[in-house]
Amino acid sequence: MTSVVEVSGLTKRFGAVTAVDNVSFSIEENKIYGLLGRNGAGKTTIMQLLTGQDFASSGSIQVFGQSPVENAKVLQRISFIKESQRYPEDFRVKHVFKSAPWFFAGWDQEFAERLIDDFRLPMNRVIKKLSRGQLSSIGVIVGLASRAPLTFFDEPYLGLDAVARQIFYDRLLADYAEHPRTVILSTHLIDEVADLLEHVLVIDEGRIIIDDDAETLRGTATTVVGTRAAVDAFVHGRDVLHRDGIGGLASITVAGLSPAHRQEATAAGLELSPVSLQQLIIRRTNTSEKEFEVSA
Amino acid sequence: MTTITAPATPAQRVINVVKLQFANPWTTLILPWMILGIIFLANLAVWAIIFTAAPLEDRAEALEGLQWSGASTFIFVYMMVVAVQTIAVTFPFALGYGVTRRDYYLGSALAFVILSVMYSVGLTILSVIEQATNGWGLGGRMFTAIYFGDGGWVSRLFIFFVLFLFFFFVGAAIATVWVRWKANGLTAFFVALGAVLIGAAALITLTSSWGQVGSFFASSGFVGSYAWSLVITVLAGVLGFFILRRATPKS
Repeated sequence: MTSVVEVSGLTKRFGAVTAVDNVSFSIEENKIYGLLGRNGAGKTTIMQLLTGQDFASSGSIQVFGQSPVENAKVLQRISFIKESQRYPEDFRVKHVFKSAPWFFAGWDQEFAERLIDDFRLPMNRVIKKLSRGQLSSIGVIVGLASRAPLTFFDEPYLGLDAVARQIFYDRLLADYAEHPRTVILSTHLIDEVADLLEHVLVIDEGRIIIDDDAETLRGTATTVVGTRAAVDAFVHGRDVLHRDGIGGLASITVAGLSPAHRQEATAAGLELSPVSLQQLIIRRTNTSEKEFEVSA
Repeated sequence: MTTITAPATPAQRVINVVKLQFANPWTTLILPWMILGIIFLANLAVWAIIFTAAPLEDRAEALEGLQWSGASTFIFVYMMVVAVQTIAVTFPFALGYGVTRRDYYLGSALAFVILSVMYSVGLTILSVIEQATNGWGLGGRMFTAIYFGDGGWVSRLFIFFVLFLFFFFVGAAIATVWVRWKANGLTAFFVALGAVLIGAAALITLTSSWGQVGSFFASSGFVGSYAWSLVITVLAGVLGFFILRRATPKS
């Protein structure tokens, strides 16, 4: 596997605030990554560092084998329209799509026009009169049609309705299948994109707390449901991620069950259900918060 | 596999930024000429009133005053505003397109030079017509105002060009201060600028050198005096480049 991004010991401080705290990870070629975390966790900062828009306080970043900072060779292969992207105020939508092809070697005009139709984007409208959703569509269309070898989507669907979001997922998957590239999708709405992701990076308070294959990750936790006594007996001594219960019933999420454990649970009359990616990450994020409090 | 396309050459990347600055010609090309046209028409009306209202014996004196017309000075200040706005809004936008700060600055600077050429040629042509028609048939002066020199059209072309460069690049430098340090930076910048100007004035006054300053500009002549502005223009251009190299697009 070739990696397109190698990050080690990356730290970014803004005054007294450490937005990214000694982070190391790598991104492999032609996979779809999810960069997940709560608002303010450091997702956008990491993407700005990877695209040379911001400067690291310490640590090293290699994108396509080189530092991205002021490096045209690297930056020409990246598309990053961030959620808070500012457009020239006097621009109309058509001016964005007139200029975008000049900067992306892989730009597909026909694809862009189809997407503009799909998202019903008014080409003649002035940027500052667009709704939040229409502004998001511009970012989504530029991101897809640019076909950059490394494409970032930062909270791509803010303000988009369910239909538009589904169009985005469908077009992304179809185009990715035809033109494989590395995609990094940042979001705090995890369930909707869970099926798209091949690899998951979860960031919390500036640190990477999960860096795992999406498939593997789904197997790392299971919810055990049954009578309180039976569930308590079964989970005793295990890594409990979450507890829930009504009356005599309990539902407990535990980490890592082997096939033998599963048989044991079924034998004890307990029900096992998979945990959604979003649930899993919420549990893990809580855990890390607790650990943080304990150590502090 | 992703299709490998030949990367753009350094020159092509800079030209792409120039094209980006002209992608929407409204603010930089259409609107300024429209405003200039309206001001010209208003002036034409005023000249016509003076021409018909002033008694014959006072007319020469009234027309004499028209050479102090400030009607076309707006366009220079307007271009400074254009430079500030352009850098402030297109910098974060261009970075979103994967443009380096270096290519962005060089491309924007080239766009400003192109605009300076276009506007100075335009104003020079109007000034030649103004002269040939004896002030649009009414003795009016707008493009041959006294500040634009006492020479022929070549010297006026030079003065227009140098003035546009000055306002564009000073505007661009101020914009880079804004992009990099926001409001605090601008405050610090203007305080420092004020201190330098007052300091220079104080120095000249205390050493009783105003006479020398006056005679320096008098001996340099119109063209020579305006040429000295190039020192500030180049300084602003170079400073802007280095300030922008470490700027980040803040939201």
